[in-house]
Amino acid sequence: MIRAAAVVAGLVASVAIAEACEPPSGFTPRGRLESAGVVVLFRTLPPVIALGRHFSVEAVVCGDGTPPALTRVDARMPEHRHGMNYRPTLASKGGGRYVADGLMFHMPGRWELSFDVEGGGRRTRLATDVVID
Amino acid sequence: MVLAAIVGATAIAAALGLGEGDVRRLTAHGPWPQSPARDPSNAASGNAAAIALGHRLFFDPRLSVNGAVACATCHVPERGWTDGRARAVGLTQVERNTPTILDVALHRWFSWDGKADSLWSQSLKPIVDPREMGASAAHVAKLVRSDAALACLHAKAFGAPRDRAAVEPERALVHAGKALAAFMETVRSGRAPFDDFRDALARGDAEAAARYPAAARRGATLFLKSDCHVCHIGPAFTNGEFHDVGVPFALGGGRVDAGRFEGVKRVRADRFNLLGPWNDDRSGVAAVKTRHVEATHASFGQFKTPSLRNLLHTAPYMHDGRYATLREVVRHYSELDMERIHTHGEQLLRPLKLSPSEIDDLVAFLESLTDPTAARMPARPSISGC
Repeated sequence: MIRAAAVVAGLVASVAIAEACEPPSGFTPRGRLESAGVVVLFRTLPPVIALGRHFSVEAVVCGDGTPPALTRVDARMPEHRHGMNYRPTLASKGGGRYVADGLMFHMPGRWELSFDVEGGGRRTRLATDVVID
Repeated sequence: MVLAAIVGATAIAAALGLGEGDVRRLTAHGPWPQSPARDPSNAASGNAAAIALGHRLFFDPRLSVNGAVACATCHVPERGWTDGRARAVGLTQVERNTPTILDVALHRWFSWDGKADSLWSQSLKPIVDPREMGASAAHVAKLVRSDAALACLHAKAFGAPRDRAAVEPERALVHAGKALAAFMETVRSGRAPFDDFRDALARGDAEAAARYPAAARRGATLFLKSDCHVCHIGPAFTNGEFHDVGVPFALGGGRVDAGRFEGVKRVRADRFNLLGPWNDDRSGVAAVKTRHVEATHASFGQFKTPSLRNLLHTAPYMHDGRYATLREVVRHYSELDMERIHTHGEQLLRPLKLSPSEIDDLVAFLESLTDPTAARMPARPSISGC
């Protein structure tokens, strides 16, 4: 029961975090990812990812308890079993805002764009699919 | 009735026996020719005097230490800007095939392993490589100073130094690289039979598209069905990146050609890379690739995806020139040795197991990507006053 109650409380907290995690002014997210009390709002620069062109990812991270930190942004093609040929650099802009530079999708197909978030003694990976034509 | 032949993508696909999505994928390989943008890392890019200087230097064997090897020794215009050899021979034989410089301005990385991040940086490497031209920065500076025509073009392209002798050797070497790059940016191929087919598909002209030979058309669909277009993508038929396609990388004597793995290390350590002092791009955009490029275990044995344009001019093939004909190249993919592709290899690759007639069709398609006029000597540019 205690365990169940804790889970319910966690869900309530997650909902509260999710509701509280609003994009800053002028930031129109391309996607919103949520898992285990962590929310990542992100957009890409430029907004449309072109094959073989470098792009950046701007992200806002929210979570319950200690503010979580975005520690890595990466991407891979699961079906092809390889990642990018470039390692993005990640910079904190303060207030839970981050910019990852240097990403590039060099092949068409399904890419899995992932965000590693650390906080409260745990690491959470949130991921989303991006299909490049 | 030309108008009656203009139909939609679905109808033209059906009329030509193409699959769903084939028209869209094939039209993505154009339009051609492309007009490459000026290279922001090279202030001499597009400069007429620099192009003229680069043209002269390209064909000048005095650029080498013994006065016998020019850039054009390996990059022969009439041979599709390659040399017809399996492995290049400068002052001595090297371990790789000479890549063509046709349409080189469209590339992201240069050399089979991408050890250079700009065309100008790549251009100065053979000059000082002891196996290729064996010269030095001081040798280049002396040549440009002592030849009146070269000095005149240099002054027009890069600004006249107050004292010719004041041109530092390293600057002279970089200027030579930038002038060579400015010239090579002008070496472009024109239209191939495929381009007429592609344009006909794009405008829905079934009658014009039907003029493309049936074997090449079957080869085109096989090219798509076999996922060749995933790496050989876009108008230049390359994604400009690096892949291990199962070509052996042992060199004999216990040595290996690590390909991209070494290439990344070399470009990151290169004094003449885009992170260095000779990059003319102050925006920082051109250097993004160099700042972020990474060598991983998977980079070992990877080589640059070559363009598939103008293959009829550029035999032999692969990074070590091991295949004399396109048929052998297609057979390589048909019988791919999966044991050879190491555990980090891509899952995309699999033996195509083509029938003899399918090999014929794929070869017909590849041959149709050649501009028949691409292998020719360009006119020598002249600059007034030099």
